[in-house]
Amino acid sequence: MTLIRFKASQEQDVDLSRTYDAVVVGSGAAGGMAAHVLTSQGMKVLMLEAGKKIPIEQELRSMEWPYDHPRRGEAPPGYHAIRYNEYTVRQPPYAKGSAFKHVFSYVGGWGGSDYVKNILVDEKDHPYTGTRYAWVRARLLGGKTNIWGRLALRLSDYDFKAKTHDGYGEDWPITYADLEPYYDKVDLYLGISGHKENLPHLPDSLFQRPNKLTAAEVTLRKSLATMGRTLTPYRAGVTTDGVKNRYRSKCFGRGACGRRPGGCDIHAAFDSPTGLIYPAMDTGNLTLRTNSVAHEVLVDPNTGKARGISFVDAQNHKTYEAKAKVVILAASTLESARLLLLSKSRQHPNGIGNSSGHVGHNFCEHVMGPHVTGLVKELVGVEPTPDDGKPGGFYVPRFRNLQDKQPDFIRGYGFEGGAGFSIFPHSAWNTPGFGGPFKQSVRDHAGAFISMGGFGEVLARYENYMDLDPAMKDAWGIPVLRFHYQFSDNEKKMCEDMAAAGREMFEAAGIEVVGVDKNILTEGWSIHELGTARMGADPKTSVLNQFQQSHDVKNLFVVDGSSHVSASCQNPTWTIMALAWRSCEHLADEFKRGNV
Amino acid sequence: MTISRREMIQATAAAAAASLPLANVVPSPESQAPKPKFFTAAEFALVDELSDMIIPADAQSGGARAAGVAAFLDGRLAEAFEQDEPQRWRAGIKAVEALSQEMHSKTFMGSTSEQRLALLTRIAAAESDPKTDAEKFFGQIKGATVRVYYSSNIGIHDDQRYKGNVIQPGEYAGYDAT
Repeated sequence: MTLIRFKASQEQDVDLSRTYDAVVVGSGAAGGMAAHVLTSQGMKVLMLEAGKKIPIEQELRSMEWPYDHPRRGEAPPGYHAIRYNEYTVRQPPYAKGSAFKHVFSYVGGWGGSDYVKNILVDEKDHPYTGTRYAWVRARLLGGKTNIWGRLALRLSDYDFKAKTHDGYGEDWPITYADLEPYYDKVDLYLGISGHKENLPHLPDSLFQRPNKLTAAEVTLRKSLATMGRTLTPYRAGVTTDGVKNRYRSKCFGRGACGRRPGGCDIHAAFDSPTGLIYPAMDTGNLTLRTNSVAHEVLVDPNTGKARGISFVDAQNHKTYEAKAKVVILAASTLESARLLLLSKSRQHPNGIGNSSGHVGHNFCEHVMGPHVTGLVKELVGVEPTPDDGKPGGFYVPRFRNLQDKQPDFIRGYGFEGGAGFSIFPHSAWNTPGFGGPFKQSVRDHAGAFISMGGFGEVLARYENYMDLDPAMKDAWGIPVLRFHYQFSDNEKKMCEDMAAAGREMFEAAGIEVVGVDKNILTEGWSIHELGTARMGADPKTSVLNQFQQSHDVKNLFVVDGSSHVSASCQNPTWTIMALAWRSCEHLADEFKRGNV
Repeated sequence: MTISRREMIQATAAAAAASLPLANVVPSPESQAPKPKFFTAAEFALVDELSDMIIPADAQSGGARAAGVAAFLDGRLAEAFEQDEPQRWRAGIKAVEALSQEMHSKTFMGSTSEQRLALLTRIAAAESDPKTDAEKFFGQIKGATVRVYYSSNIGIHDDQRYKGNVIQPGEYAGYDAT
């Protein structure tokens, strides 16, 4: 079998003397989708990416055996990934005073740091200040989609109309019915794997071939069904049957997905470059400029409208201007908020699009940490099977505060989990003793464990916010973000329930609970940052309208996770792309009518 | 590592299994093995022996010695950026040697296999709550042995008989969600 890779189509020459129809800042899920939709509508788009374009297949080397790597996947000496306890005992900037040559977020410590050392940002160049926050950033073409976890879920009206349901926060200015056709488009264009469950709170996608379950997962699925809960095969943003896209292969179940910080070098897992950007380039309408660190949305002094982007070239440190009729920010939730705040002018003294004062506020994400591990006795000593040869394990959708009302917290959480054999027998870490009996025990138990961890909704609160640090600047002289953000009682109570409910579900299935971890991981750990420029009908309490268009500046759009009104507990990437598709389709229509 | 080398190690392991458990393991004919870069020859011999006692050869697979655990650790420690890690190893080895003198009035490698086993049994007994330096060193060398052995060719293929990291053109293994 040959996995043929095509070279990306000829890149267009960047012409900064020209006024593009649109300039898109960022090339991740949101920026890639904006480029796809706008170029397919014939608009001429310039995309600015702060990072490099790297030969990603050579970087990820998905099928390299650990023993064929000189350090078993670890990065060379002098590279350091911030550890859990560093996040808990120190304050940002975490790389300050470090003797290491390069410092990375905790993701660089996931047993494959050599494969992400050119993908993650070096904290030394990208500091931030304020409260504790594990901020994982990937500055390269495609951003975090190069290494994302691939869980691709829809939101429902339990999320979009959460305030109506429980009275807290704000409803979204859209309903599920508004977004459903765009979720469908994303499913069909990019491919998604999953199994239909007909759940009102976790709508099904247009699925391709699902993952299989392991024996332990089947046991848990059957038991959960009697409790009115669901265990479903991991809904993966992975094409298992293939899509019409010459840059991508379908999944061949090779199994590297779980043992590295993500990354798929045959691009069966969605990533923005092969899924969206290269096909957009093939239209002839997309121009890409990498190494372009945007630091200001430029404003026309006469009209107050956006007229382009000022950026620093990451290599020569010179400043340039990109001119466009429409400015689209897709730099990630936190970077887009930073860019809005940095763009101060006479017309927009608090930052562009910030007449409400809500930019940087209402930050939300997912809280995680509590997890439970169990042993399925019947599986001790079974023959090894290729259980990790698939894009993911399982997902247990939210079951709290749907029909019931929990006394201690509002909203809900889901579990991600897995079971069975993997390339490394993690049970070895917890098997006591040594010698022959130790070795035999590790072997016998390698496929008998099941574990799952919760991802819960962090409530969007005005008082959780980011602003610009008055003094500190990054390697390009751009003021950095300062965090003012902490979990509240609702998240803590929810996490207690996660641990208890996890134990209860395992025990009900006859799975012996061998570990319950109640620790809450540092803010930011889920890498699902959302909010900071929320949508809404009221310009006084929201930054964007339902089409992710600035209330203040009608040719300015923010199409990434910053627009989300609440976090829900479902992983956000698929929703980010569905929203961006809907907004950009609207934008293209309005553009043709001369309304932006 | 080629298949033939793996087969050879398997054959060696099978032969060694006859004299298990923890028989007097004669250091393998590694005279042609390169000199350690970080450990002294004596330290290397101790680490090599202890790691192989923690994960010994058995009927199914070679042990930590065959998997080259000590040599891998030696290479990593020689290039370590932070010096506290190499120092921890050196201090831990010293603590084991001191305990060996206390228990048997001999160096660790100068002891009989029964004496080595007695020492290892003693420091492993406090695994869940180590107090002395030698007890803490058990956790350190066991953790390192586990990490290196189970990411080695022998650990992955011979011992765990891992079935993944191959192209599966058809269905995934496992069960449908019904």
